[in-house]
Amino acid sequence: MEITVFVDNFANLFDETPKAEIGETTNFKGLEEWNSLLGLATVAMVDEHYGVRVSGDEIKDAQTVTDLFELVKQKSAGNK
Amino acid sequence: MFSLRGKTVLVTGASSGIGKQICITLAGQGAQLIITGRSTERLSETLQALAGEGHQMIPADLTDSALLAELVKGLPVLTGVVFCAGVITYLPAAFSNEAKIAEIFKVNYNSQIVLCQQILKAKKIAKGGALVFISSISSQLGVPGTLLYASSKAAVNAAVKVLAAELSSQKIRVNAIAPGIVRTPLLDTAKDIMEKERFDNAEKEYPLGYGEPADVANATVFYLADESKWATGNIMILDGGYTLK
Repeated sequence: MEITVFVDNFANLFDETPKAEIGETTNFKGLEEWNSLLGLATVAMVDEHYGVRVSGDEIKDAQTVTDLFELVKQKSAGNK
Repeated sequence: MFSLRGKTVLVTGASSGIGKQICITLAGQGAQLIITGRSTERLSETLQALAGEGHQMIPADLTDSALLAELVKGLPVLTGVVFCAGVITYLPAAFSNEAKIAEIFKVNYNSQIVLCQQILKAKKIAKGGALVFISSISSQLGVPGTLLYASSKAAVNAAVKVLAAELSSQKIRVNAIAPGIVRTPLLDTAKDIMEKERFDNAEKEYPLGYGEPADVANATVFYLADESKWATGNIMILDGGYTLK
């Protein structure tokens, strides 16, 4: 699992926020565009690309994009 | 009033949540039940919770057409069917791809309508019988993330109207119940995705609070009982006042 690919997949969910504004250390819930539908989109993207389920509460607990990445990485390792 | 004594009723989705409570309530009103669902273990739990004698369970995945055909073959003539099997999903439109459409519709629409079709073809629903479909209030709203779930339930609503018209000559009544948010295990999945805090706050939008499975079960009794013999083609909104605003 590559973090750069993850950041790219995540940034693709946004329509208004320029890609350059989303990086590994971005506090994504602080972004103006962030809303509950993007939360659902994040769950769906993680399921589609990584085959694991993350919950709304887990997304709520994550601060940065790296936190999300680590969560997904940990979950997919548990799946193997 | 509203006795179901002498009625033989098939209930799908009987292993948990609303379906399980419907079984318990119907048996309490004197109905003889045939219950079906995917999980044998949880289905037996429902069976054990039923008042009265002679109830039957037939574990089956209704999306498997061979199992469905076998189920219908083994059925006696019914006086009622409650279509309660369903899955919920929250997906933004951009992720609601063809595979997901097929997955959701297969359970929420196709399997229920095919079951209904086969029961009709085998003439296993008695004259004066009643069919009740469990829909959802989201079929008439525009809740973000419910494209597939809401559409599948809207398809069920449309089916209810057509079936009601087609089957009226045999005095078979067809109705749906469209509940708002009911506290069930299915909902725990939703809660998991939605975040607990937001879920709890959303209850404030319900003047009478979230519903309980018994609220839906009681409405089902009404539609199965002879007392509602003039009611057909209805989509009953059961939402604690949510849509009043």
